[in-house]
Amino acid sequence: MKRIVVRAEECAGCRQCEMVCSFQHSGRFSPSLARVTVHRDDLNGLDYPVMCRQCSDCPPMESCPAAALSREAEGVVAADWQLCTGCGLCVQTCRYGAVKMHEGRPLICNMCEGRPQCVERCPTVALEHIEAPEFTETPEEAFRRMKEAWGFHE
Amino acid sequence: MSKLYGYAGKILRISLTDEDYRVDPLSVREARGYLGGRGLNIRRLYKEVRAGADPLGPSNRLMFATGPLVGTMFPTASRFNVSARSPQTGILGDTNAGGHFAPEMKFAGFDQIILEGACSRPVYVSVRDDEVELKDAEEIKWATVFEADIHIKRALRDPWVQTVICGPAAMKGVKYGGLFANQVRAASRTGMGTVMASKNVKAIAVRGTGAVEVAEPEAFRDLVLQLEKEIRDHEQYPGRRLMGTTRILTMANRAGFLPTRNYTSGVYEHAEEVSGERLAREYNVKTRGCFACTIPCSRVYTVRAGPHKGLHGEGPEYEALGSFTSRIGNRDLELALKANDMCNRLGLDILTTAGCIGWAMEMYEAGELTQEETGGLELTWGNGEATLKLIQLIARREGFGDVLADGSAEAARKLGRGLDRAAQVKGLDLIMADPRGLKGFGLGYMVATRGGDHLRSEPFIELSDDPRLGQRMFGVPEATVRKADKGKGKLITYFEDWCAVIDALEPCKNIMQNMMLLPFDRAAEAMEVTTGLKLSPQEVREAGARIINLERMFGVREGVTRRDDDLPRRFKETPLAEGASSGTVVDVDLMLDEYYAERGWNQATGWPTPETLTKLGLGFAAADLPA
Repeated sequence: MKRIVVRAEECAGCRQCEMVCSFQHSGRFSPSLARVTVHRDDLNGLDYPVMCRQCSDCPPMESCPAAALSREAEGVVAADWQLCTGCGLCVQTCRYGAVKMHEGRPLICNMCEGRPQCVERCPTVALEHIEAPEFTETPEEAFRRMKEAWGFHE
Repeated sequence: MSKLYGYAGKILRISLTDEDYRVDPLSVREARGYLGGRGLNIRRLYKEVRAGADPLGPSNRLMFATGPLVGTMFPTASRFNVSARSPQTGILGDTNAGGHFAPEMKFAGFDQIILEGACSRPVYVSVRDDEVELKDAEEIKWATVFEADIHIKRALRDPWVQTVICGPAAMKGVKYGGLFANQVRAASRTGMGTVMASKNVKAIAVRGTGAVEVAEPEAFRDLVLQLEKEIRDHEQYPGRRLMGTTRILTMANRAGFLPTRNYTSGVYEHAEEVSGERLAREYNVKTRGCFACTIPCSRVYTVRAGPHKGLHGEGPEYEALGSFTSRIGNRDLELALKANDMCNRLGLDILTTAGCIGWAMEMYEAGELTQEETGGLELTWGNGEATLKLIQLIARREGFGDVLADGSAEAARKLGRGLDRAAQVKGLDLIMADPRGLKGFGLGYMVATRGGDHLRSEPFIELSDDPRLGQRMFGVPEATVRKADKGKGKLITYFEDWCAVIDALEPCKNIMQNMMLLPFDRAAEAMEVTTGLKLSPQEVREAGARIINLERMFGVREGVTRRDDDLPRRFKETPLAEGASSGTVVDVDLMLDEYYAERGWNQATGWPTPETLTKLGLGFAAADLPA
């Protein structure tokens, strides 16, 4: 299926994806309203945006006590806000920490209905929306990989 | 006008003496008149810090402010200004940086944060939305900028906290200690870190969860998309993405205005070895950007072999790269990277640090400074080991480093010689462009409200050397010819007003001004769709002029007159001997006459006239004009 794939080497950590996402879904600007969060390591100059990866097994969906999360035709995990009780279990169970709560509701990425704005507006093409297999690298793992490759010894 | 969009609408005022704080509203009137950022700072600083206040005493106030565009997706809107009375110059201290601190201020709900008084114990300020606390900083008082940043994020258990930090040099009282956001985004001119340290404050740590709303979301988005397109299509896009400002070094050398060996030459024979091109080719591995930047230009480098193996980090920018190469006659690029890294960690202003070292080297080479006076250091041109040693000595105020710890002008006064060789104006060490090859820049240095610096005007258009532009914009063809003295009064007045507007709205000057993307009419449009305030392009420019005039009055109150609007003798009397900027010197008086006339200032004194002040709504400042 089509996923948002991260090219960490290209990410400049500008967080424009956070702003674009927040605006797209709320008409306002705040990292707290964004479905994407950029992890940044200033000492080493490394950056990694974390958002929903559309995992084939989705612990938030599977553990949701209200069954508010389900998979749509395209395979995208979607929320039914009539059912969501705001318990926050999805925040705890997502293994990448891709879900945040805002005012009692989880922020669930809906891939902007097929045209993810974070991808379209990324200034360094660090995000791609492509047919891709599931990937499991965490920001910490990506940072370690880049540090080794570039000879960072601190 | 009911609601101000764009702005957070609140000002946080912290009394360090009483360990207390209060929150004031931002008024529509000051938003209209001063726009934000640098404008908000001078408005309050002028009223709240009296003339002659000890820059390092509790009566000085340190103000942080950002602008209405910040904390949105407006391209490059990420910056903040820090202002106080400067310990380095005694006039207005003011400096600006990007990164991620400013948007976090907005998300926490503040356009401005003011530090008053002084704390009786070392602290850092923690702001979490409307929760303000002074946290103990005993443990990190002497920590480097990088160590303190890591410590604070751990102590607050929040990696998304944004900080500004002063280093151990500021704590030690070096007069040009800076403030650093995201470890390496330096707000380091005029000693604002030293002011913060004098208040016993190591850092400000901010985290906000609020949102910024704009007045017209649809129109705002259209403007942003249009700007993003213009940035991507701009001829400067590829060069800036690859090299950032370091691309300037090669260009400055070709044009013969690359300050070399403390401005004794404008051409560096080893420029290619220390160029931005070489840095990009051999050392850079990754791009970084400030918040909401659509043209990220910062670079991460790594040194894979040699004596500095393992050294890596962000930067340097052109001013730092040139400072530690041509300015001190050093051809070892890796040594320059090391010196840049040390200054960031210790929290030093690089232009002043290298300015002092370059000055000392010239004095030493001329036989006016002995090895006895330098404490055994052999200050020959390009001596890398001595350079690194001196940086440490300056930061600790030890030995000869103590002599250099107040800037090159002060060092000359302490020694009783060498003032003519100090490349500074009003006590602030100059930037990396020789005014003999850029006359408008020279005028900019002379009249800049914070002392010898280009970022108050940055008339980049001079580099075009195209008289048609000067004719069209100012009715004077020479205005945009770099080695001509004529027409520069009009040029600098226009560009100063523009820079003040950019510093008030707080996007990146490199992009919005240098790439000509946010002229006055577009700034008015951006204000309207973001804040809901309708200003004409003329009113926007007037706000810029208001900022400049009030900043000038801050200096006038401290004794600034026409006599102080000057350049070191070298630039007025000795032409450069070689290169494309040779054979000419700066005509100071011609340019000043033109400039004062354009500004409506008194020709003899260089003071704004009461009429000019009143016209700009600054009638209250006229009472401060000397009799």
